[in-house]
Parts: sequence; C-alpha cells; structure tokens
Amino acid sequence: MSFGFPWGLLALGALAPLVAAYFLRRRQKPVVVSALFLWRTPRPRAEAGPRWERFTREASLLLEALAVIAAALFLADARLGEAARTRHLVLVVDGSLSMSARGPDGVTVLEKVRQEAAKRVEEAEATQVTVLASGIAPRVLAGPEAEPSRALAALESFQALGADHDVMPTLIWAQELAGSGRRVVFLTDAPPEIAALVPASVRWMAFGTGRDNVALVSAQRRDEGATATVTLRVARFGAGPQEVEARVRAQPGPGAKEGTERVERVRLPDEGTATVRLTFQGAGTVEVSLPEDALPEDGRVRLPPSPVRPVAVGLAEGLAPPERQSLERFLAVAPEVARDGAKEGTAPAEVLLVGPRGTDARVTVGAPGTLRTFVGPFFSEKGHPLLDDVQFAGVRWTAGDNPPGRPLVTAGEAVLVSEEEGGRVHLNVDLTRSNVQRVAAWPVLLGNVVREARRTREGFPRRQLTLGEPLPVVTVSGARYTLVGPGGSRPVFGAGAVDLPPPAGPGRYVLERDGDEVDAAEVLALDARESDLRGRGAADVPARESSEDDERGTAPSRARWPLVLLLVALVADFYVTRRA
Amino acid sequence: MDEAAVARLVPGLGLALPRVPHRGRVGEVRATSAGSSLELHDFRVYQPGDDLRQVDWNAVARTGELILRIRQDEVSPRVEVVLDGSRSMALSPRKAACARELALLTAEVASRQGLSPTLLVAGARPERAQGAACRAALQATAFDARDDLSASLARLPPPRPCGLRVVVSDFLFEADLPALCSRLSRGAAGLFLVQVLDAEDLDPSGGEGARLVDAESGAALEELLTEDVLAAYSRRFEEHQRALRAAAVRARGALLTAPAYEALAGLVAGPLRPLFVAGGGA
Repeated sequence: MSFGFPWGLLALGALAPLVAAYFLRRRQKPVVVSALFLWRTPRPRAEAGPRWERFTREASLLLEALAVIAAALFLADARLGEAARTRHLVLVVDGSLSMSARGPDGVTVLEKVRQEAAKRVEEAEATQVTVLASGIAPRVLAGPEAEPSRALAALESFQALGADHDVMPTLIWAQELAGSGRRVVFLTDAPPEIAALVPASVRWMAFGTGRDNVALVSAQRRDEGATATVTLRVARFGAGPQEVEARVRAQPGPGAKEGTERVERVRLPDEGTATVRLTFQGAGTVEVSLPEDALPEDGRVRLPPSPVRPVAVGLAEGLAPPERQSLERFLAVAPEVARDGAKEGTAPAEVLLVGPRGTDARVTVGAPGTLRTFVGPFFSEKGHPLLDDVQFAGVRWTAGDNPPGRPLVTAGEAVLVSEEEGGRVHLNVDLTRSNVQRVAAWPVLLGNVVREARRTREGFPRRQLTLGEPLPVVTVSGARYTLVGPGGSRPVFGAGAVDLPPPAGPGRYVLERDGDEVDAAEVLALDARESDLRGRGAADVPARESSEDDERGTAPSRARWPLVLLLVALVADFYVTRRA
Repeated sequence: MDEAAVARLVPGLGLALPRVPHRGRVGEVRATSAGSSLELHDFRVYQPGDDLRQVDWNAVARTGELILRIRQDEVSPRVEVVLDGSRSMALSPRKAACARELALLTAEVASRQGLSPTLLVAGARPERAQGAACRAALQATAFDARDDLSASLARLPPPRPCGLRVVVSDFLFEADLPALCSRLSRGAAGLFLVQVLDAEDLDPSGGEGARLVDAESGAALEELLTEDVLAAYSRRFEEHQRALRAAAVRARGALLTAPAYEALAGLVAGPLRPLFVAGGGA
C-alpha cells in the first residue's frame, strides 16, 4: 500500500475521541426494564436475538472506527497492489546524428543527456520510465513503463546516429504514452525554434553547443572493372579551416597485393561544397576520414566495393540489318551494358531483349504496314523518363502502323513510340528511311531505355545513400524478400520498385531473397543538416502545463474503494445503532 | 412468597366462575351434559334405549306419550392458572413474589372450592402441576425465560377445555394482543388476565442518564430519563394497556392489573375483586 497524500492519515486521530466517547458512555448506569419497547417508538416486529443486541455497542464502535480509518485512507489517497502509486516519467531522446557532437570539453551531447536523464528520474522519484528515441520513425528504447534502472541501461547503450527529422510526432506520441497532463522530458541539443509549438506537457531541455564543423556531405563509389572511382563532397559549416586533409585509405582488393593510402588536401569554399574525385585500381573497401572535429562521425565513411552490374542486352532474330546495325553501334559504346549477357545464361527477366515488331521482345524496333514519314511536329509525353533529353529537332521519322500501348511520341495520327502496361516499348521507326539513328536523339532514347531497364532490375538502384533518404529497392514478384540491416531484419512487401522508409541508422543493408543475398547498399552517416552545428545550444523550456497532479506525481485519480468502505460502514452503523 | 398471607385469605374467598354450564369430573357445578342431578334441564319424547327411570310418569298420564325428564349433570370444572415465566416477571423480588402469591391463591381457592386447579408455568422449561403440587411448583419457578409469554406459550401443552383460566403475567411485551387473548381464551369458559406490575413499570424513576436493558432480550437503549422521556413512556404504557384491555374484552375475558407493591389482601379486595368473591361459591 502506498499513500499519495500521507498527511491525510492525520484523520486517524479521530479514533481517540471516538474510543473515549465509547468508554464514557459505557459507564452509564444499566437499568433493567420489563418493556424496552415502551421507551422508544414501537416497531412492527420484535427484537432480534439477545446475542446480537448484546454486542450492538461494540459493533457500533468497530463500524465507526472502520469509517474513520476509511476516511483517513481516502484522504491519504491510499492505493493497493497494481493501483499503488506510480510515477511515470517519459523521456524522449533526440536520435539525430548531431547528438554525437562533442562540446568544448570533449563530452558528447548524448553523454550529457544520459546524465540529465538519470537526474530527472531521480528527482521525479519515477517508478516507471519510458524512453523514446526520436527519429524519422520514432522507436521505444525502454518500456513502456519500464523499471528506471532498465530504462537508463537502455539509454546507456543507445547511439544517436539518425537523420535530421521532425520531433513533433515523437513528442505527441510520448504525451499519449504518458497520459494527459503528465510529465514528458525531451532531451536534445538545440532549443525549440518556436516554443509555442512544443506540446504543453513537454519540458524541452537542450544541452548542445554551437560549434564549427567540417563534414562529408556525400560520398559515392563506382566500380567499373578494376577501377574504383570515389567522389567526395566536403562542406564547411562555420568559421572552420580553409583547407582540410582528407585521408583516403583503400584496402587491397581481391586481385591486388597491397592497398593504397592517400592524403588529399581539400580547399573549402566559404559557401557550398568542395568535390573530390579519386580513382583506385584493384581497391577493396575505401575508408575516408577527415580530421577530428566537433562531430567526427560525419567525417568518416566506409565505401565497400560497388561493382557495376551491367544490363544484359540481347538482339532477337528477325531484326532488319539497318535496325541491327544501329543497335549494335549504340551497344558498342553504351556504358554498363553487356552485349552478350543473354548468352552467358543470364536470367531472362534481367535481359533487355530487342526484337522486331510482332515478337515478345521487351523493346521492338520496326515499322510494318503503310509507311509515313514525318519531319515534325513531334508531340512527346512530357516528363516521361524514356524521353529525358530526347530532342527531335532535324529528325525525319518514318513510321508504319501504330503499335499497341500508350503513345509516348506522336506525329499527326501516327504513334512513333508507345509503351505497354507491362513495360514493353515499341519504336515505330523504319531506319532505312529515317535519319533518327544519325542524330543525337537516337543514343539518348536508347540510353533511357537501358536506364529504365536497369532501374527495374532486382536489388538496390543506388548503392550509397545518406541518412534520411528513402531506400529504393526493386523486387520481383513471387519471391520473399528480407532487408537485413544493423537494427535487425524486416520483410519487404510489394513487387517492383518499392521505396522503403529511410533506415533508422547508418550501416550496410542487405536485400535477401528467400535467404540468399541479392544486393547490398551502404547508408552513410552523412547528413548536411545534422553536420551544421552552428544553431545548437542549451535551453530549458519548462512544460507550459504543470497541473497539481503533475506536481504530486503521475498517480491516477484517487482510489474510490476507501470511500465505498466509508459509506458502507456508516450505513451499517446507522442500521446497528437504530436497532439498539 | 408470603404463603402465610395466602393461607389467611383462602378460607374466605371463592373464584368467580362464569354462570354457564361447565364440563369436568363429577362435582358440584352444573355441567353441559345430561346426568343424574336433581336440576331439571329439559323434557323430550322417549326414545328406545333411554333410561326408563327418567320417564316422567305424570306427563305420561297427562299426555299419553312417554315423556322423558332430562336432568343436568353436576361436575367439578378445571381451573387453569397460567404463570408467565419470563425474566421480566422477576424485575424486582416483590413482583416475582406477588406473581407467585396470586397464582398460589388462585389454585388454593379453587381447590377449596372443589375445583381441579392446574398450574402451567410458561418458562424456559415449561412446568405443569395439579392440585397440591401447585405449591411446590410455584416455589421452584425461576422466571428465567428469555422470551415473552406469547412465545413461551408455544412450549406449553395445547390448551384443554376448562371452566376458568387465570393468566398471571405483566403483559409487557410486543405481540399481537388480540391474537394472544383469543388463544388464551380458547376452550375456557372464563378468562382473567391478572397483570402484575412493578412500581418501576407503572411509574419509572428518572432524572439521570441510564442504559436501559430489556429484561428478556438484553437489548439496550441509552436514554436521558428526562420528564419528556418519562411522559412519552407513560403515554405509550397507557396505549399498551388500552390495547390489552380491549383485546381481553374481545376475547370475553377481563384484565385485572395488580400493582406488586400492594399487599395481597389489598389486591384481593381491590383490583382483583372480579376474580375473587368473598365467601366462595360458583
């Protein structure tokens, strides 16, 4: 049993006069009478048994004492068992990367937050603590309503490496977990931009410090054959150094004997970023690091090999010589394309098959039927990815009968390019009479076709992502996919191009199909908004709502059972004394 | 119990039996049945099997028909004395003694009158005595019943027909008084309710607070015995007496109230005069 208001137990002092009055009344002279009923209002029925009556006064005393005790328990806000008084404190910790920034004393903000959290728990005498980590997807670190020691232990092992995000959904969630008008403490590194928008019951505590910082804002690696190209963008936030040394270390690859280590001096502009491009031969994992500063995490990246997966393109039988020649001429110079992929046993789904009209090839080229030649005007589907940068100026296009599918490019009533629902593309062109293959529109159009084929290929379209970016993934229907990352694994639902929510933290994410690794992507701990530490600072914005209940703790409403006991005792006492 | 006072009073007293035919053993009182006494009751035509000695030959001579002379029997009727054995009857020694004396006086007078007295004590353990054993039974009466007369009557044997039933009690209890009186008068030619009351019953003393305890049930009530409280008691007591008297009359009985503090001779000459007649006689 616990008491929300122990002073209420003072009401037990009423027992003393009650007992005294009882014994004082007991001293009155007993007088035996023949007919007690003549001394009071007659009743319709006779008295109960003498045994009951003999103890009437004792029963009355006990009932009155019980009523006093019940009243005292009610005033003292007594609680039993599960309903015993609990103090629930909800801590919300900012999960963004900037929480790992060091202050001038070398202590990270997260460490200060841990200390403050322990202090809050101790001061609030919390018996139950819930710890939430804010993020693009908020998550529970401890609880709900965990023991304080467990909650603080969970916070001890927490690392803030998340992307920049809006904390309001997390705070609203915390408020709901805590209950209306209860205590929520948000621990972060920056004061609120608009304090009025902070939920009323949230106390906002910031422990950050405005610091200058130099950070990598993006890093890309591209492997073509044995050559690895690493592209880095470095930014300076604040009045930092004009020049930094980027240390790049390439571990030896499968065929290489030794690794490479370089130090690149990067000159940082006042505004904008500096771009550095490095190439390595036979490199394994490439590690890039900037000099230690306020936030070392955003100056280090690790780029494992990201081999280019060429798109296998096959030319079907039946193509006319002009079409075949023009296609082969394009394929000979197109990057990341394997001309003979189909012959190496590549899965049919991954082969971009080009054939004549009337075949089931994914891309058909040809113009059967009545031929018509157009020099313009050409009308194209604006914004369609297949038509990016395709210019039809100076083009003479000879087309045959209209192909099926949605028209993408038309001239008059003729459909020049169309796309079917399943992704099949038809190029309605007779290259013997057209000059399309001799202008820039032709390689650009085919390049777009290959790019779209690459995008619909199983795996990650992008291998390196920064924090907060959605994770695009392409899956094939009929298979079961799992995304395995630093935070565990989760199933991937849906077929085709799927945009997964931004990962909670940096690391290597592997896409598995039925337990077999399909592809891997690296989420880098880079976020320009988190690297900008100039706006950080300390603040303590108290909760606007600090109700009396909040002052006393987080106990639920006063228990009713003592009141019920009190009423029952009073009614029983009335009944007993009425009999006497 | 002042047995000497009872003995002094018995010779000069008789019970006022109701003037109706009685039943009982052979005796001196006219019975309800036809018999062989000298009192003529009726005439009727002779029927085969009748006693020829009862033929009124003068009537035969006058009428030519066999006319039979019907004579009434003479019996010794029973007298039942019912004594309330509840604890309230022993509220004071005088009240208990007065109740015993009145019961004994009734039994003794009945014996002397040639009647058959039966004493029924409605106590915690019911007692029944006849004739001379009544005295010993009265001496042993303890007044220990924790319930009132209406409840303790259930422990007695069923009432038998009798010429006179005298019930000695204080009648201070809550009960259905008409039903009680009707029950007490069942089978009795005459019913007397002799109510023995203590001085405290009639006029309780007040002036201070008291814890009033019911003599039978033990129930308690705390009261300051102020004038108002005492006046209320008197008012309720009068109402109770009126109800009791009305119930007794409705049962063809009579309520005689005997203050216990009065001497036995004074009671016989005063409130109990309807029951005891001077010189005896039926």
